[in-house]
Amino acid sequence: MNGRSHPIEHADEPLLWVLRDELGLTGTHYGCGIGACGCCTVLVAGEPVRSCQVTAASVGERPVTTMEGLAERGPDGQVTALHPVQQAFLETPLQCGWCLPGHILCAVALLNRNPAPDEAAIAEAAQPNLCRCGGYNTIKAAVARAAELARSS
Amino acid sequence: MTGPYESYGRRLRRRATRRRLLIGAGATVGALVVGVPLAVEYGRPALAEWMLGRGTGPAEIPESSLVWFELTGDGVTVYVPKIEMGQGVHTALAQIAAEELRVPPERLAVVQADTARGFPAQTLFTFGSTSVASLYTPIREAAAAVREMLALEAARQLGVDAKALTAADGAFQVSGTGRRLAYGEVISAHSGPWQEPPKQPELRPVQEFTSIGRSAPRVDFRAKLLGEAVYGYDARLPDMGYGAYAVPPRFGAELLDAQPGDAAGMPGVQQVVIDLPAGFAGVVADTRTRAWAALNALRLRWSEGSRTDTAAVEEQVTASHGVVLRRDGSISRALAEGTRVEAAYRTPLAAHAHLEPLAALARVEPGAGGRVELWVPTQSPGSVVEDVRAALGEQREVVLHVTQLGGSFGRKGGQHLAVAAARLSAAAGRPVHVGWTRDTDMRQGFYRPPTHTVMRGSVGTDGRIRGVEQVTAAGDIIWAVAGLPEPVRDLLGFDPGGLLGLFLPYELPAYRLVNRREQLPVPTGPWRGLGLMPNTFALESFVDELAEAAGADPLEFRLAHLSESDPEARRLRTVLRTAAQMARWGEPLPPGRGRGIACSGDVGTVVAMVAEVDLSGGRLRVTGMDVAVDCGLVVNPAGAKLQAQGSVVMGLSSALREELRIEDGQVVSDNFDSYPIIDMASTPPIRVTFTGDGEVPQGMGEPVIGPVPAAVANAVRAAGGPRLRTLPLRP
Repeated sequence: MNGRSHPIEHADEPLLWVLRDELGLTGTHYGCGIGACGCCTVLVAGEPVRSCQVTAASVGERPVTTMEGLAERGPDGQVTALHPVQQAFLETPLQCGWCLPGHILCAVALLNRNPAPDEAAIAEAAQPNLCRCGGYNTIKAAVARAAELARSS
Repeated sequence: MTGPYESYGRRLRRRATRRRLLIGAGATVGALVVGVPLAVEYGRPALAEWMLGRGTGPAEIPESSLVWFELTGDGVTVYVPKIEMGQGVHTALAQIAAEELRVPPERLAVVQADTARGFPAQTLFTFGSTSVASLYTPIREAAAAVREMLALEAARQLGVDAKALTAADGAFQVSGTGRRLAYGEVISAHSGPWQEPPKQPELRPVQEFTSIGRSAPRVDFRAKLLGEAVYGYDARLPDMGYGAYAVPPRFGAELLDAQPGDAAGMPGVQQVVIDLPAGFAGVVADTRTRAWAALNALRLRWSEGSRTDTAAVEEQVTASHGVVLRRDGSISRALAEGTRVEAAYRTPLAAHAHLEPLAALARVEPGAGGRVELWVPTQSPGSVVEDVRAALGEQREVVLHVTQLGGSFGRKGGQHLAVAAARLSAAAGRPVHVGWTRDTDMRQGFYRPPTHTVMRGSVGTDGRIRGVEQVTAAGDIIWAVAGLPEPVRDLLGFDPGGLLGLFLPYELPAYRLVNRREQLPVPTGPWRGLGLMPNTFALESFVDELAEAAGADPLEFRLAHLSESDPEARRLRTVLRTAAQMARWGEPLPPGRGRGIACSGDVGTVVAMVAEVDLSGGRLRVTGMDVAVDCGLVVNPAGAKLQAQGSVVMGLSSALREELRIEDGQVVSDNFDSYPIIDMASTPPIRVTFTGDGEVPQGMGEPVIGPVPAAVANAVRAAGGPRLRTLPLRP
């Protein structure tokens, strides 16, 4: 989990609730419980997964990345550098932010496999995630900007 | 969790000055604390007065400190009395304060004010697109006064005349010298009472703004991106349990009996709470899913409740008669002349579908009078406090912390969840968090009420409208939450929320408007823009139908019927022309494609937009939206653009997809599979231009949603498709 190992007490529960309520990582959000909105997205071994749809046990020992695990941090836990995707969304923010796990982590996975995505690839990667505040135009621009930032860093 | 400022309300002597600034008495050494008292300014004063006059509003219009500035050696903190639900209000209010403080907005610490810091709960009510407009002047005046108090003290410390000081970038510069004194240094070196400025300092003219009018970074977004922001669903306390409680299976059903069943023995269950007189049954467990499972194991018996369905609700909302709200000229004579057009429009029930379901955390101290502390995502803290007191005891002290809100759009007002969490906490003797499932959130909501509007009109051979008769029926909005007796509501015949967007802005020789409100068996209430979007859908579609009957261009037809002298009509003309220009109105399009235009006004803001659609693939695709907005002075262009685009997307979602379905007294479209909202693939590029050049800002949260469905429906017709008169639009 974000580079550290944790024993899990309720391994039979959905990963979402284990993250939020057992590990206290509330940056992963609950939206629908049926895998339809994307608010609960995490990366499991680098791939976006809807954490409401899998048990903690099913993830086993594969690495999990959540919103809390993206930024670079110093030994004291303080953030030393945002991930380029975070930086891009800081420059062109959305509104309420509840949908961010889906949009951010799908963008991270996209840029990991395709550092120079075109508009269609950006749209395809973001498509499964809803945004009720209506930031879809902004999301496309932010991911394109994130790709630029990642390439230049 | 409350920080060092929790007792502001009690600690401060609240020494009121001539201009009624509140200067903190505890703030004589190393800090300057200034509050701004003002009556809550309602953006819709007529409505507020009307409600107050009838005892349906807040018990009093509170006059209390709404904004606190705290300056110390380390920096400036602004306690903002409006709630952040994504609209960016904390950023905009900080920009306004920064302008007169002469501090860069990104250097201000922005903190949500709440009752834990002495703010009366009702003053935090955040609604109706009024936050920026109502606080714009008070915050500037207060910030300027704070700056002047600092300047007087700085002048004393430096031994110069205050006139010699220039404030910039959080410091004073002595003119003609290189000397500079930072605000923090002034405060650290100060002791004794602060001297108030002898007169209200002049405010900076608009042309000299350095903060207002520039896009500022969102003050709340870094924490959100790091996963550190605390929304209602995220509120946590040590030793907290997870609660769940029974909700009626049908509208209006009441709990007749409840037995623990197998719940008490289930794994992780800590408490089963049954209080039949209160109609309450719930559980507390060590995990959320165990609480939900235990809830399902309770044996509950409910009264039947309503067996209504979508068709019955729509039938009840049928325009035919009602109260006459407008009668200009002779409508019967007008309709007998020229070419007559008649059409009827419908909009369905719709959900808010905020992505964060409702949630609340409560910690109730032991004993009948124990203090209640709440963490709630709410737009309406006053009603949360009232609800909890009504349920747990009027004598209780209730402290409410407002969390971040993961969207709201009108939904997150007074909440059963806070009451339930408090009941469960009181019974379990530990803090309890309650979070609804998505399907519970969708089923237990209140909804945008359906509307039915019958329009009759005629146009003469000169291309001018002879007259319009408009007969509207709609479910309740304000009345549904205002607690007025039904006979009184029925006598009045209209719902104040339904008035938004209800009136045609065009010059008409004859206009008759009849309105009818209906109390429905389905809970209805405020939804973004209240009546604005449903009403505008009917009006602006019908104006296009009249233009077609007149053989006129829809843009020219509108312009021809907007007054040259009326200020609002002039602003409408400007946004119409701007949107048309942005969309290349009049340039030919390939077959199957078309443009539609529509406009509306609300909360001092006027909006026009052009939708471009493509029917050539055999289905309706919106390919572009060009939007012109005059919201007066734009405080944060980036934030305002997001608000505009967000309204367009939500409006498109209503135009293309959303329809809440009711069967057998319950919502059956209860998740995003059965209640789809718009996704990225269906969202076109949305271009936004602000045309306002006003001195003051107007509302921005809701107005832009008004014309969206009408613009799309008009574009479908222009593309050679049918005239669509029912939402969602299905060509």
